[in-house]
Amino acid sequence: MSAKPKILYVSHNHPTIRPGGAEAYAYELYRAVRDGGEFEPLFLARTGPPVSISSRYHEGTLLTGVNEDPSQYFFYTDTLEYDWLNGTPRGKAALTKYLREFLRATEPDIVHLQHTLFFGYDMLREIRQTLGEGVPILYTLHEFLPICHRNGQLVRTTTEKPCREESPRRCHECFPEVSPQAFFMRKRFIQSQMSAVDRFIAPSNFLRDRFVDWGLPADKVVLEEYGRLPVTAAPTRERRKRNRLVFIGQLSYFKGVNVLLKAMKRLQEDEVDVHCAVYGANLELQPDEFRAEFAELLEATKETVSFEGEFNHDDLPMIMADADWVVVPSVWWENSPLVIQEAAQHRRPVIASDIGGMAEKVHDGVSGLHFKAADPADLAATIAGAISSRKLWDELQRRIEPPYAMDEHVRSLTRQYKELLASKASDDEEELVTPRAPATEIEGVRYA
Amino acid sequence: MPEAELERRPASEESVDELQPLAALLAADVVAVHLSPEDGEPGLELSILDEAAPEEVRSQCVDLRSLLRERLGALALEEREAVLELLDEVAAADPGSSDPVGLATSRALIREALRDPLPPTAVERDEPQGLHFDSVLALDDNAFYVRGWARDGQAPLTRLTMLSPEGSRIELLPGIYREPRPDVDSFYEEPAHTGADGTGFLGYCETRSPSLLSGGWVLEMENALGVAREVSGPQVSRDLLAARAAILSDLHKENRWDTVLMDHVVPAVTRIQQRLEERAAIKEVWEFGEVPRGAKNSIVIPLYGRIDFLEHQLAQFVHDPELRESELIYVLDSPELASALELSAGQLFELYGVPFRVAVLAQNGGYSVANNRGASVAGGELLLLLNSDVIPDGPGWLGRMASFYEEQKGIGALGPKLLFEDDTLQHAGIKFQRPPGGGAWENEHYFKGLHRDLPAANVTRPVPAVSGACLMIARELFEKVGGLRGMFVQGDYEDTDLGLRLRERGLETWYLPEVELYHLEGQSYALETRHAMSRYNVWLHTRLWDSEIEAVTAEIE
Repeated sequence: MSAKPKILYVSHNHPTIRPGGAEAYAYELYRAVRDGGEFEPLFLARTGPPVSISSRYHEGTLLTGVNEDPSQYFFYTDTLEYDWLNGTPRGKAALTKYLREFLRATEPDIVHLQHTLFFGYDMLREIRQTLGEGVPILYTLHEFLPICHRNGQLVRTTTEKPCREESPRRCHECFPEVSPQAFFMRKRFIQSQMSAVDRFIAPSNFLRDRFVDWGLPADKVVLEEYGRLPVTAAPTRERRKRNRLVFIGQLSYFKGVNVLLKAMKRLQEDEVDVHCAVYGANLELQPDEFRAEFAELLEATKETVSFEGEFNHDDLPMIMADADWVVVPSVWWENSPLVIQEAAQHRRPVIASDIGGMAEKVHDGVSGLHFKAADPADLAATIAGAISSRKLWDELQRRIEPPYAMDEHVRSLTRQYKELLASKASDDEEELVTPRAPATEIEGVRYA
Repeated sequence: MPEAELERRPASEESVDELQPLAALLAADVVAVHLSPEDGEPGLELSILDEAAPEEVRSQCVDLRSLLRERLGALALEEREAVLELLDEVAAADPGSSDPVGLATSRALIREALRDPLPPTAVERDEPQGLHFDSVLALDDNAFYVRGWARDGQAPLTRLTMLSPEGSRIELLPGIYREPRPDVDSFYEEPAHTGADGTGFLGYCETRSPSLLSGGWVLEMENALGVAREVSGPQVSRDLLAARAAILSDLHKENRWDTVLMDHVVPAVTRIQQRLEERAAIKEVWEFGEVPRGAKNSIVIPLYGRIDFLEHQLAQFVHDPELRESELIYVLDSPELASALELSAGQLFELYGVPFRVAVLAQNGGYSVANNRGASVAGGELLLLLNSDVIPDGPGWLGRMASFYEEQKGIGALGPKLLFEDDTLQHAGIKFQRPPGGGAWENEHYFKGLHRDLPAANVTRPVPAVSGACLMIARELFEKVGGLRGMFVQGDYEDTDLGLRLRERGLETWYLPEVELYHLEGQSYALETRHAMSRYNVWLHTRLWDSEIEAVTAEIE
């Protein structure tokens, strides 16, 4: 082992290619660990269509460099040949040849995955196979894709209600074209790959419990919130009324923006003095039905709602400065929504759905308010109550805890990395249940 | 009366000193047919004329056509028919020919020259005789499955005869399967004398000598008044899989297993199965990694259609050290997927490091053939037949099965508990059950659909049979009984057939509930074809084992 242990971070995307919550966090973590100086981190980001335009950069390799940083790589994989059901590439050469070469050349001492999407869950097997039992593998669970074939949404296709229990039968009800047997095999397959992981990081208790229920060993899944880099809080303007709301998020069914608009429509009909700004992107990717409803609701609420469209993350302080409340009305469970942390950074109370990660991260009546998920009437009542009292807002704001800081997060992870390295070293005698990968090339193994 | 007698003699002692097979004689370009009334008794001598044959021999020779026209054509009909029958007999006994098609062509020529065609039938409403020859499915050179209809408004039928292009005659009455053809009957003004049996016919038949030609079949009928008619037949179809599908679909004509229909369907399908089995030899064997030599356990897993199951199994086997120590043999029963499998299998070995072999069959052979072929290259003492859609619930299962098998005296086969994906029982041993009234015995899995923890399903005990989805048997024993029988179509009832054959030898089949695996059945086949096949298999199974099943059912309850 070199003086500094090498950590390989793996992300399903690079934030410079397309911004996204998990990849932005992964990249911030990589930089924070690099700046911390105790480890030598590597950042391997999957790319290729549909995220990037080109599908291959150089002939004979899937790697290219990133911004002349010797520690960052793009890894091109082919989504057309990706098995979406089982989360695995149909051909394994990307793993057994190209990833293996990369692992052998870089020899990481620790691997910390942020995502396996488009690499395939079996990259876990490949990492274990090639690096051996002595290398700790950590995996941060950002969402529920391993559990739910509906992009990890955990919302039933049959009722559009949040799903509390997966099973081959219920999954088949959501996707009649996929047999219950295929769902069973999917689960066993993914779990087999995940058994190569030494520690799962869960950013919320809700997510942790769901994965333990699903079958991950409880002692392998630890709670560890996302660490946030420090920001300057947006100014709190003195106002007579705390009646300005903001929605920041994807404009999709699951994020509940239409629930919010329906509540706003009611408030407008009741002539309540309230305003809401809606920031968000990707409307064009949504089904027609959703877009039509969204447009109709915008039209009906044009006196109280302003639709601002896409926004630049740098403008967040300005957006927060204009708002009193942040509304998080998702109709799915969520994990640990970054917008809740951002609201806390800027000291804005949150009005959130009373389910899943939102209910966990926002304490009702303490640092924000809950309303009954997917219920516009209850949201309208909650908003009306919230804006009626200045005192309530002041109380809630006072009790907002600052979000988990990145440097604290890095210290915690550092402890965990060292602990895992130490426990691996002491296991050395009894290891090697799984032998290391054979050194032969694919072509060399076949005898007719 | 000159008796047409065929002798096979050399034309000259110098040139040919062995008996010429009939095939060579009739197929040769220059053929000498030598009519030699040597000792007053006119005989017929056929030989290949050697170019060096002496002139006196040449002068007495004629070619085949001249012989037919000039000498045989003049014979009385009865004698000509006797010649044809004699030729048929000789051809049937012929040890084999280097040019079978040439022989067949010559025989067809002889047939046409010597026979007197009957008046043709015309399908008309007021015509008393009606005859139609729908199809001839060739199952091999001698076995055929035919279909048509015959009716007579004048008198009962006394014969219904097929004539092969080569001149073999097959009498279809009385054994052929008759079925009602209301469509045909309603066309005619007069009711037929065909009787209650029905106007249609179909069934299995054999020619005495091989029939290779596609065209030239004739169907003849004759009634009690001596009125005879004929009709020419369709082109012969030789596609075995299409023939099997067509024959199996006939089963819907009956609701019982013990009817004449099965007397025709069984030999036909059995013959097809034999031929498919012959074709499905192992074409090549690939080896990925070092499959342990001298392993105690050999696991044979047929892959049919869903080669992606390989990945799912390896992703589980990787967690079980016992599986690495076993001889893992996959048998590809979908040869068209060979190149896809070769690429994927190599990569999957790279990823999982579990060594295995793949035996590729030259043609699809079906479940039993694939297992038998896999077993033929296995070297372990114990053989485990495993389906590709079976996934273990955890490691250690193979060793537990092996030790039970080794310790249990008088055991023939062993099967574990198999589960559905929802943790209910798919298999806890198999018993037999028949519907009231003597219907066919159906295989029934004990406690199917009940929870895996059901106490009654947790009893280790002998059972009538166990599922072939996961079945352990000593390899020597498996070989001694001839493996699974290929007469069943596409993977059904071979396992219980094996259990009953083991029972005949006084060996027991055991169920071992402490071993649990998931069997994710029913993902490989289209349901429709499965239905016809399973009707056949269940009927065949009862035909073979009716009384034995009765006995075993009374014995184990």
